[in-house]
Amino acid sequence: MVIRVDPNSGIPVYRQIVDQIRFQVGSGLLAPGTELPSTRALSRKLGVNPMTVSKSYAVLEDEGVLDRRPGLTLIVAALSPSKREHTAMQQLRATLEPAATIASQLGVPARQAGSLFREMVEKSDRDLKKETA
Amino acid sequence: MTHPVEMLDITKRFGKKIALESVSLTLPARSLVGLVGRNGSGKTTLLRHVVGLYLPTSGECRTLGTASHYLGPTELERIGFSQQRDNFLDWMRARQLIRYVSAFYPRWDRDLEEYFVGLLDIDLEARMGTASPGNVQKVSFVLATCHHPELLLLDEPLSDLDPIARHDVLTILLDRFERDDVTMVISSHLLYDIERIVESIVCLEKGRIVADATLDELKENFAEWMVTSREGLLPYRYDPAYVITSEGDRFQARMVVRDPESHLAQFRSAYSAQVESHPLRLEAIFPLLVGNGGKTAAWSGRPGSRVEVEA
Repeated sequence: MVIRVDPNSGIPVYRQIVDQIRFQVGSGLLAPGTELPSTRALSRKLGVNPMTVSKSYAVLEDEGVLDRRPGLTLIVAALSPSKREHTAMQQLRATLEPAATIASQLGVPARQAGSLFREMVEKSDRDLKKETA
Repeated sequence: MTHPVEMLDITKRFGKKIALESVSLTLPARSLVGLVGRNGSGKTTLLRHVVGLYLPTSGECRTLGTASHYLGPTELERIGFSQQRDNFLDWMRARQLIRYVSAFYPRWDRDLEEYFVGLLDIDLEARMGTASPGNVQKVSFVLATCHHPELLLLDEPLSDLDPIARHDVLTILLDRFERDDVTMVISSHLLYDIERIVESIVCLEKGRIVADATLDELKENFAEWMVTSREGLLPYRYDPAYVITSEGDRFQARMVVRDPESHLAQFRSAYSAQVESHPLRLEAIFPLLVGNGGKTAAWSGRPGSRVEVEA
């Protein structure tokens, strides 16, 4: 698991960690059952306060993204398809929000903006297939 | 359970000058606190009360469960304190000074000392009177930390260090925080540096505590908004209850707001405006905490601009 945080970005560090782990779980980079590094190991790697990492883990556990196994190790939870879709749409919404604002400020009609996005997703899907082929 | 530091309604006067006013502060065990404030806001005075170097004019200060003016050797050897202007014996070499001070601490960790000396590249042969300020600060850091204190108070430990040494010291502090059951207070103007490691911030202004909150709470409590109204419906004045500073016209504005989450929806619909919300880093939050009682900050820097704070 590779994570990048910027303590000076203004976004609380725990949120930066939560967002990245949530994305990696959603995209399948972190498969269900994968063990997460201990609080201590991750905080040391990132050079941040260990409390920050445990707060991130607590949030993700609360959301059901992570599971605590007996023996206190944390693993990636197996998400139900509907839950998986729900978190995926949530993340996408957060990412698209600024783009939507810009589109309406630039006066791009919703239909055109929508088809641009569809095109981009289709292209990205094709590129991904090419890479895995 | 007693907390390592408990200050109850402390006021300290030096003659007519009030250095601390009604300061109440509790630091729980295993906390890592950044003590911030402008020059002369009372940071050093506060730390000196904790170790019993100053007695409060009124109020009560308890350190490690003992009234701080009764701290004896058993408590003092559990405390580490590095002062901004430590008075060392000028003729001593760094090596001699470390040996001399270490003799007072039964729990002194020689391995840790040697590790710090190597990592921080301390010149052990330099005499304290003529050593570079950076070297003196590093020695002072070693003297405060190598006996595994339960309470570590560092007054401006980074101000004379180069960026690499600052990074090393911060990494050491995090490592100590994790391994020893230690409560740390770091006073510093170098907000950019301490932002990386502290959990909570205590901010002093003119001898009073104006903020005592976790860093996350502070960051979530302020935001910068870029506001656009295509219809030109923005007002010339905003509600001062939550808009701290603003500039712009009927169509566009940039503003710093407090408690952005609870005002965003209402603001959007009131002015049919589009709002882009940006988080603020500690350096941008700091002036909001100390500016005119925290209500009307004089500062109105651009995002990403540095707030110059004298060391």
